[in-house]
Formats: sequence, C-alpha cells, structure tokens
Amino acid sequence: MEINQLLDYQWSSMMPEFTILLTAVALSLVDLFMPKKRNRSVIIWFALSGIAVAIVFLIFQFDDGVVTILNQTYRLDSFAKAFKLLMLIGTGLVLLLGIKTNDLDEVKGEYPYLLLTGLLGGMMMASSADLITLFVGLELLSLSSYILVGIRKKNKLANEAAFKYIVNGGIATAITLFGMSYLFGLTGETNIYEIQALMGSDIVTENRYIAVFAFLMIFVGLAFKITAAPFHMWAPDVYQGAETPITAYLSVVSKIAGFAIMLRLIMVPFVFAPGTGKVITPDGVSYETLLVSVRPYLVLLAVLTILIGNLIALKQVNAKRLFAYSSIAHAGYLLVPLAALSELVFDAVWFYLAAYLLMNLGAFAVIDALGEENNEVTVASFAGLFKRSPYVTIAMTIYLLSLAGIPLTAGFIGKFEIFMSALGTEPKRFILALTMLAGTVLSYIYYFGLFVQMYFRKAEVKTPVLASNRLVAVLTITAAGTVLLGIFPSIALTFIHDHFQFLEIFNP
Amino acid sequence: MDVVWLIPILPLLSFLIILFTRPNLYRKAGIVGTIFTGAAFGCALLVLFSNFAEGNQLVEANWFSIDSVVLTVGVEVNPLNALMLVIVTLVSFLVHMYSIGYMANDERIATFFGYLGLFTFAMTGLVLSPNLLQLYVFWELVGVCSFLLVGFYFYKPEAKAAAKKAFIVTRIGDIGLLVAIFLLFWQTGSFELDVIFESVLAGDITPSMVTLIAILIFIGAVGKSGQFPLHTWLPDAMEGPTPVSALIHAATMVAAGVYLVAVMYPLFSSSETAMTTVAITGGFTAIFAATIALVQRDIKRILAYSTISQLGYMMLALGAAGYTAGIFHLTTHAFFKALLFLAAGSVIHAVHEQDIFKMGGLRKQLPITAALCLIGCLSISGFPLLAGFFSKDEILASTYADGRYVLFTMALLTAFLTAFYMFRLYFLVFAGNESSKAKESSRIMLIPMFILGVLSVVGGYIQTAWFGTFLGDWLETSPYPITVDHPTAPIWLPISAILLSLAGIGLAWMYAKKLRYGERLNPVHRLLFHKYYIDEFYRVTIVKGTRVIGYFWMYFDRFIIEGGAQALIGLVKRMARAGSDIQSGQVQTYGTVAFSGLVVVLLLIAVIGGYF
Repeated sequence: MEINQLLDYQWSSMMPEFTILLTAVALSLVDLFMPKKRNRSVIIWFALSGIAVAIVFLIFQFDDGVVTILNQTYRLDSFAKAFKLLMLIGTGLVLLLGIKTNDLDEVKGEYPYLLLTGLLGGMMMASSADLITLFVGLELLSLSSYILVGIRKKNKLANEAAFKYIVNGGIATAITLFGMSYLFGLTGETNIYEIQALMGSDIVTENRYIAVFAFLMIFVGLAFKITAAPFHMWAPDVYQGAETPITAYLSVVSKIAGFAIMLRLIMVPFVFAPGTGKVITPDGVSYETLLVSVRPYLVLLAVLTILIGNLIALKQVNAKRLFAYSSIAHAGYLLVPLAALSELVFDAVWFYLAAYLLMNLGAFAVIDALGEENNEVTVASFAGLFKRSPYVTIAMTIYLLSLAGIPLTAGFIGKFEIFMSALGTEPKRFILALTMLAGTVLSYIYYFGLFVQMYFRKAEVKTPVLASNRLVAVLTITAAGTVLLGIFPSIALTFIHDHFQFLEIFNP
Repeated sequence: MDVVWLIPILPLLSFLIILFTRPNLYRKAGIVGTIFTGAAFGCALLVLFSNFAEGNQLVEANWFSIDSVVLTVGVEVNPLNALMLVIVTLVSFLVHMYSIGYMANDERIATFFGYLGLFTFAMTGLVLSPNLLQLYVFWELVGVCSFLLVGFYFYKPEAKAAAKKAFIVTRIGDIGLLVAIFLLFWQTGSFELDVIFESVLAGDITPSMVTLIAILIFIGAVGKSGQFPLHTWLPDAMEGPTPVSALIHAATMVAAGVYLVAVMYPLFSSSETAMTTVAITGGFTAIFAATIALVQRDIKRILAYSTISQLGYMMLALGAAGYTAGIFHLTTHAFFKALLFLAAGSVIHAVHEQDIFKMGGLRKQLPITAALCLIGCLSISGFPLLAGFFSKDEILASTYADGRYVLFTMALLTAFLTAFYMFRLYFLVFAGNESSKAKESSRIMLIPMFILGVLSVVGGYIQTAWFGTFLGDWLETSPYPITVDHPTAPIWLPISAILLSLAGIGLAWMYAKKLRYGERLNPVHRLLFHKYYIDEFYRVTIVKGTRVIGYFWMYFDRFIIEGGAQALIGLVKRMARAGSDIQSGQVQTYGTVAFSGLVVVLLLIAVIGGYF
C-alpha cells in the first residue's frame, strides 16, 4: 500500500472511533500509573467526557454522504452513524450509572475502559464492510464483555456467569465464522459489497443451498448477541451473575451492536441472492430471492423468541432474571420487522432500539439502586417502593409502561411501528402480529406484577432508596426521554428522516 | 368552542398538582380536585350549548408520520360526544365532591383524588378523540386508572387480585379492538373516523371484512362494558372504594364500550351479522346478569350485576338499530346508577356492612339516603314518569320494532327481574323495624346524591313520546352517517312494562316481608295468601324458579366461565414451568439447545427445499 494512498484516506470519518480508542488507551495508562490508594471514580468521568467528544464528532458527520476508507473495509453510512449514536449514548448512561462503590477495591479502573473497548468493537461492527473487520469488531466487543461479566473475580455467581458466557459465546462465534466461511467459499471475497455483487452469478445460483445455509448459520450465530432463540439461554444466568450496570450494558449496548451487525451482514450480501423456490415466468425459470426463501425460518425464530421470553418471564422471582427474559422477548419483537422483510425495517428497528435503550437502562438503574440494600434484587424488593421513593417509582412506572407498550410512551410507538411493518408488507404477517400481541398480553402479567409490588404492597424497609446524584441523572434522562418519544415521536422520526438515509446501506 | 381543549386539561392539571404537592395538600386535595372537575363540567356545558348553536367541530394537528402515513391528534365535538362529555364531567364532579366526605378518614386521600383526576382526564380524552389510534391510547389509560383505583385498598388481598383481574380481562377485549383498528387501517389507510366511514359506505371493504372488524371492535366493547363472557371482572372490581364504583364502574368507563359501539355505529349498521351479535350478546347479558343479581347478598355486587345487565340493555338497543335508545339509556343509567352507588356508599359509610341481610330499618336513621335510594330504585325499575321509564321504554320499542321477538321478551323479563332485585335490596336495607346505630351522611355527600336524584327523575324528558324526540333529532345532526329512526310502539307495550315493573316491586315487597316476619303475618295477609295460595304460587313458580335460574347462572359463571379462564391460566403456567425447567443452569444444555436449534432449521430447509 502506498503511503500516499494511506494519507489520502478521509481519516476524519473515523474520528469517533479514534476518540474512544485514545480515551481507552489513555485511561489504561492513567490507571496503571495512578497510586493504588487513589479513588478510581475519576476515571469514569474521563471516560464520559471521551464519549461526549465522540458524540460531538459523530454529530458533525451526520450530513456527510457515504465514505469508505481502508480499501472499503471501513464504511461510514447513515446506518453506521445511527447505530453508533445509540451505542455511544447507551455506554454513556451506563458509565454515568457507575458501579457499586464498595466494590471499587475489587473492581479497579479497568471497568470504564473495558466498557470503552467493548463500545469500540460495537462501533466497528456498525461501520465495517468486510467480513474480517466485522468479525474483529464482534470479538472485541465479546472479549471485553466476557471480562466485564467476570470482573468481580471473588464472586462465585459472577465467575459462573462469565464461564457460561464465554462457552456459549465461543459456540456462537464458531457457528458465525463457519457461516462466513461458506460465504467466502462461494464468492472468494470478504468485502460484503463485493459479495453482494457476486451473489447473482451462475455459480452461486447453482449452489444456492450453500448460500441459504450460510445465511442461516450466520443468523443463528449472531442470535447469541441479541439473545434470540435458539441462542438465548445464557442470558438469564449471565444477567443475574454480572454486576447490574454491566447487565444493563449487555442488554442494551451489546444488543444494539448485535442488531447492527446482523442487519448489515444478512441484508447487504444476501439482498440479491437467489433462494430455493422456483418462480416460473413466461420468460423461463428464475428463483425467488434468498430473503424470501428463509422468511419462514426467521418468522419461526421470532415467534419462538417472543413466546419463550414472555412465558418463562412469568415464573421469575429474581428481578434481573425477569428482565433477562423480558429482554429476550424484546429481541423477538425486534426480529419482527426483519422477518417481515419490511421496507421500514431499519427505521423500525432503530426507533425501537432507541426506546428500548431508554426504558431498559432506566429499569436496570432502578434495580441497581435497590441492589444497594439487597444482596439479591427480587420482585419482592420492589414492595412499597411508592411509599418509600415516589419519584423513583414514577420513573420505574414509566419504564414498565413503556416496556409493556402502553400508549404515550416510547415503547408503544416503537411497537406500533413494528406492528405496522408486519402488517404493511405484502402478504401480511398476521402470525407475527398475533404473536406480538399475545406476547404483549403475557408481558402485562409480569410487568403489572411489579406495579402491584410497588403500589399495593407494604414495604419492609421504610427509608427511601439511596439515590445518588448520578442515579437521579440517569433516571431523569431515561424517563424524560421515554415520555418525550412517546408523546412527540415525530422528534425522533423527523430526525431519522432528515439525517439518515438508511437505504444507503445497499449501495456499494 | 375553544374551551373544548380545557375539558381534559383541567382534570390533568388537577392530577399533576395533587401529585406534586401531595404531602402539603393532603386533605385539601379533594377541594382542588372538585374545583378543577367542576370547571371542566362548566366547559363541557359550554361545549354542549355551542354544539346546539354552531354544530359540529373538528380540530386536528399532525402527531407523527411513518413513511407516508400521517397520524394526527385532535378533538372533535359532535352530539354524541358532547353529551358524553357532560355526563362524564358531571358525574366526575359529583363523585369528587362526595368523596371529600366519603374518603375523609382515609390516609391516602390525596392519592385517591390524584387518580380520580387522571381518570377524568383519560375518559374525556377518549370521548374527544376523532381517530381510532387516539381513542385507543385513552382507552388504555382509563384501564390503567381503573386498575389503580380498584386496587386502592391494597392491604386487602381481594382488592389486589381484583385490580389485576380487571386489567387483564379487559385487556383481552382490548386486543380485539387493537386488531380491528389495524385491520381498518389496512383496509382504509387511515385511523380517522370520517375516512373510515366514507370507505365503509362506499363499499371499499368487503362485507365479510366489515363484519369481522365490527365483531372485533365489539369484543373490545364487551371487555370494557362487562358483557358476557368477559363480565367477570366487574363484580370483583367492587373491591374499589364506592365512589370509584359509581364513577368508573357504573356511569362512565364501563359505558365506554357502549359508547364505542355507538361511535362505530356506521360500521356496525353495515353488517347485519354484527348487529345481530351485538343484540344477542346484549340481550343475553341483560337477563343473565339480572338473574345473578337476584341471589347476591352484597349490596355492591347486586349493583354491579345490575350494571352489567343494564349495559346489556344498551347493547341490545344498539344492536336492534335503536341508536337513540342506547344513548338515551346510557345517559339516564349514568344518573340513576351513580345515585344508587352513592346511596350504597352512604349506607356502607354509616353501618360498615355490605351484606343486605344484615341490614334493615335504615329508613329511620338515614331518611335522606333512603328517599334518594328509593328514587334510584324506582327509576331503574322503570316506574312511570321517571328517567329510567322513558329510556327503558325506548329500548323496548326499538327492540319490538326490530322484530326480534325473543330478545324483546327477554328484555321485558329483565325489566321485571330488575324491579324485583332492586326492591329486594331496598326493602331489606331500608324497610322493617330493626334498628342499628347509624348516622346520616354529611351534607357534602348528600348534595351530589340529591343532584343525581333530581336528574334521575327529570332526565327522561329529553326524549319522550309526548314532549318530542329532542335527543334523537339532535343526535341525528352527527357528522357521521347515522340513521336515527323513531320507532312507534303499540300502546300495550309501555303498559305491560309498567305492570311488570310494579309486579316486580310487589313481589319484592312480599319476599322481604316473608323473609323478615316468617310466619308472623297478620291474619288478613295470611288469609289472603292462603286463600288464593298466592304466596305458594309465587314461591314455587317465580321465586323458586328465578332463584334456581339465578343460582344456575351464578354457578355457571363461577365454574364454566371462570373455570375456562383458569384452564387457560393453568396452560400458560404449565408452559412457563416447562420453559424454566429446561433452563437448568447447565451450560451443556444451553449449547445443546442452540446447536440443535440450528440443526433443526438447517434440516427443515434441506428437507423442504428437496436438497437431499
């Protein structure tokens, strides 16, 4: 590679990534040379400011067109920007939440910069156009998350969680990689846009089943990251074992990154690929597209994910496990526009993820606050919360209403959009729509169980929940955001419409 | 006309003010709430009168758009919802005032008034909605408020269970409504009522689809209005404070189902099947709930079953093309049923007892309550010249004119049963000589009852055969295509209705007397009874008969309907347990499940695709 070519690249398009990378490196050095006795919480503020700078850089890129550098491996398009924005905000809120101070002796400064390296991985997943860089991003996020889950090394539950996470993650990675190898074998390319162009070729048409297998393996492998069936079972154990802010990170940032890579990796290469079904036209025999062929399987997995998540959540006592299953169910809802192959898939997924980010992070923030006084936060730990801390309860009410999809919250608008995407395609996806409704009704039972606890039960503890300033900040931002997006969704929808041309993703 | 915005905003303000200044306001919260809802009532009256003068109005603004679909929010005023607004704000205002007295000793009085404000906001918002999506938003919100208020006495386990049940059972109906809304959107590309009705009438939707949508909407109405078979939550919901029962579970929210059918009337009337479904469900619910009311002992549960029955009456009227009759009965029912609940509350407040068999002779201690309750009972029984008489007559006339004589007979029989169980309640509670210590309620509780009492007497004169059909003519000015017919009933119809209601009252009187004095009847009575064997005749044929039917339906309700629900719950629970059993904590299992999931999907596609 010529040095001139290297210098010619528009490096400014990677500014957000550079910022996060530099912050993470700098923080690891600071942590290394900082006296052992010094309080590490200052590092969190450095990390936060790094994220703020990255967001500013990202905002300046909003109206640029598609930029590709590094031999088309790095690609900045609307899709990448939109998902990076969510991940940055999500990580920022998790950092703001902090981590239990009494654990800081055990959890040293590595907590913030591991979050940042994970974030960097996620950003690469959103912004790569090559199988190899996509995979590197995926692994960077996964490895950071494995360590984060096991960060309390003296805690048995955390150890167990980290172990399960790593083993399941390994299986998932193997499957994904296997699927990718088929893709490479079929086309001889690693760049997904090159693959897209070659997918219509005769060789691929002859071996179209291999393409279908590759698709399904990649899909199932990536299902791990988004906690969708059949790769959902690790979630409850890992969510329960990890520190609550890390659980929030896994359930929000890691999942957003998972959807980013999934959308790019299954939409872009396969969009023109031939499927299994024959279409006989007067001009001769052709094949339906691959995405149409695999749709029944995507529908099946989406339906299973929704039902499994909502049904098992009914039986949960531990709050984090409950939210793990609820998070599985939400992954199922998010698969609906994908399985319906709606034109609105990017808009619908993005908006729902934005809503999910706010409401789920908020709910985990409340669980985290309750964790200060209980070793294990159960459903019963919410008893009498309204009497104890009315404002925290109101915030939690907003999150739960939003998660349940009750109108005037962001969750309703998100669900509504997904619903429209399922019913807006031809033919209508009634199975998806009905499963979503059934799942939603089931979810009322466990979300409203928490309401019953908060409003209708007597508290054993009378004192208010210990609410730090940072908790108040997180709750205020997430609750206000949830209501704002619920009442004035046009703010976000117009924003998407004006700045993000999601369909850019298909143009090489 | 511009004040229409204020109608939902005022109660919302009341809610917010009370929410944020709860500890400081405390008992004064009631006054704040009453003033705000009173102001909302004033605005509703202004809107009503401006509707007479200026006609219908519709104001809309864009909410958000997805793709090319623009969703709007707005307010609409037409005769139907102007009337509903007045009813909702009036009853809400009166219930607020009443609650100042009724809830005076409750520590959480401020929370209570906060919830009431939120409910009033939601209910008025529902009524003002010009499109189905907005209507659905508020439809959910009233459900949430009902949940909070039913569970208000949360230290009682029954109240907690009832709150949850109320929410989940009505949600089942709501799903029907939601699916219908989406189907309509799919068919017409809009949530706006006017656009929807236009395409329905233009025949853009196939008749079978119209029927399907109408029936799905009706399922939503069945859930909200406690119609068979989704009625089970309503009697349980009586665990809430009595003023709440009066406001939400008698006058307003449960009437929202009837209102919904009335709003969607152009859709319903385009499908004969849908109309028949509505009529049969309504007619059956009316008589079904009335028979159960015969054998209840709890004063509030009697009124609850009575409400279900009366709502069934309204549905019957709408299904039998009696648009005016349905709305008319909704109006008068709001007055006399709210009155009856408030009177019941006054009794409960005085004696701290809900079993009518443990009461008696309260006429002397609670003279005003007794008099007002009597007016309510007479009105609901269809006693001549009272509000209920006219509206019930209108329903009977519509049903008769519609030609469904079985349903008509059921409606007539229900009128008789209604008179019987209401006066059974009245005589057992107020008549007789037993005296227990009780004190008449304070003035703040009696004034709202008095106002409702007056309305229960005069409310019927807006639509009579003699003074003109003002209500019907006015409802006909609706912006939507509604055909309001003026059925003329044969002269024997009102007469037989009167006779049946009198017979019901008389029977109840004898029943109460028999129960109270046993064999100690005076000789004249004994002679009369024995000579003509009237007593035996009644006891065996009617009282026993109706009691048997009542018990039959009660057990049917308890075991078949609730049993079906339990079976469904059991199934869900079992599936949940099976699901969590797989979740063994073994990492091998997780890997196996994931891997076999992949293999199954790949095998499926290989086999179905014929790759082997």
